[in-house]
Amino acid sequence: MSDEIIRIEHLYKRFGHVVALDDVSLSVKRGEVVVIIGPSGAGKSTLLRCINHLEKPDRGTIIVDGIPLTHEKANINKIRAEVGMVFQQFNLFPHLTALENITLAQIVVRKRSRQEAERIAMELLEKVGIPDKAHAYPAQLSGGQQQRVAIARALAMQPKIMLFDEPTSALDPEMIKEVLDVMLQLAREGMTMVVVSHEMGFVKAAADRVIFMDGGKIVEEGTVEQIFNNPREERTKAFLSKILI
Amino acid sequence: MAAEAERAILAPRRLRITLEVGWFLVVFSFFTVLALAQLKPQPFGRIFRFLLDGVAVTLGLTVVSFCFILLIGLIGGLGRLSKNPILNGIATLYVEIIRGIPLMVQLLYIWFALPQLLDIIGYKLKGISALAGVGQWFIDLKLSPFVAAVTGLSICYGAYMSEIFRAGIESIPKGQMEAARSLGMSYFQAMRYVILPQAFRVILPPVGNEFVALLKDSSLVSVLAVSDLTRRGREYMARTFESLETWTMVALIYLFLTLFFSRLVRIMEKRVEFEVK
Repeated sequence: MSDEIIRIEHLYKRFGHVVALDDVSLSVKRGEVVVIIGPSGAGKSTLLRCINHLEKPDRGTIIVDGIPLTHEKANINKIRAEVGMVFQQFNLFPHLTALENITLAQIVVRKRSRQEAERIAMELLEKVGIPDKAHAYPAQLSGGQQQRVAIARALAMQPKIMLFDEPTSALDPEMIKEVLDVMLQLAREGMTMVVVSHEMGFVKAAADRVIFMDGGKIVEEGTVEQIFNNPREERTKAFLSKILI
Repeated sequence: MAAEAERAILAPRRLRITLEVGWFLVVFSFFTVLALAQLKPQPFGRIFRFLLDGVAVTLGLTVVSFCFILLIGLIGGLGRLSKNPILNGIATLYVEIIRGIPLMVQLLYIWFALPQLLDIIGYKLKGISALAGVGQWFIDLKLSPFVAAVTGLSICYGAYMSEIFRAGIESIPKGQMEAARSLGMSYFQAMRYVILPQAFRVILPPVGNEFVALLKDSSLVSVLAVSDLTRRGREYMARTFESLETWTMVALIYLFLTLFFSRLVRIMEKRVEFEVK
């Protein structure tokens, strides 16, 4: 096993006339926390969604944990179970309780017994700080609580990689911290994470590497220090001047 | 503000009134039928007893057809949503053709035209030695009136039901499927555990309406020699020439049945609404 867990080479993706990804190559090491920043429409979400094949790239290769992501269904489902994803809009299943949201895929995909799945679900709800909400439906939870359940749901599959697609963008300001705290804890525990976020607190505390994307390309990458204090590219400087007031 | 508050107060009240009127009509139609049969046994009591067999056939026909219709609706709806051009094409063709032909004509076609068509195909197949057995099977195939009626109603209503299922599944946000797939579920697992349970709540009202509409449209199968409620009415009228009394009774029984099932659907809707919240 190499310590490289994601390898992306020459990825292209278009939506009609819009070029979302234009020759993107990226490699992520085991245990690394990579944060992707950039203006909207830069291709950040598309890149993330290509990693677990929610979007089909037009061209290029993606290798996750040694398994190449081809269009074979078997491979794709196998990899998806190894790659947890957290969405901007939470996407909890509204007809299931928080507990059932977390146990469903464990039972259906991982073939765990209900008891075992519930034990794991309760441990994770404990970890994200809302064990008392196990039997609440998503509609009865605040945005921050919903997102924490969504993180627990992804973790229940014991993924090797976690993808976060603007996990705090749909949250009220006072709820952002509770979600970021969970993410910080995950980062400290050594989870491999690829995060699209502009939360500076999280970036500074957790990011091993920051990637700046614009126009479907990776414009610049480096440590937090390099990107935020000494950006080389003009576009990076221009973007940072807008988000760092 | 005032208008909004007014609407908030008015809305539930209006709902309650319609509900009560609905139940009143159910009870009213039920007792009218009973009262007519009891108080005027000649001819109403006699008609009522004669029609009861037909009520059983109408209900049986409706329930059996509806099971097939739900199955066809699910498959057709998924076909209409499929990205596979062949599946999608077949489903679309089916829906468009069937919705463009009146139910009455479809029933007549299955009962009168289909046997001839099968005979023609059968004799053609018999010419090919390898398919002779299949050809003979086509020629021997005779649908009973009940089976023909169920087939006709299922094929016709299945097309409308496909559209209801399609709309219901489409109404579930895309993120639900993505979340399910991102957890490693297959397309069918995601449908089974995530999308369909939610879509079911959305489509329950239109599906219930279809059931009631089917109950009424099942009267058309009386042209296929199925002894349903309507045909029993015709038979009785032909025997006695008591047209007014016979058709009053038939109409009242249909009215009671449709009102009763409409109410039942309404109650199920309410249940489901509460469950979600």
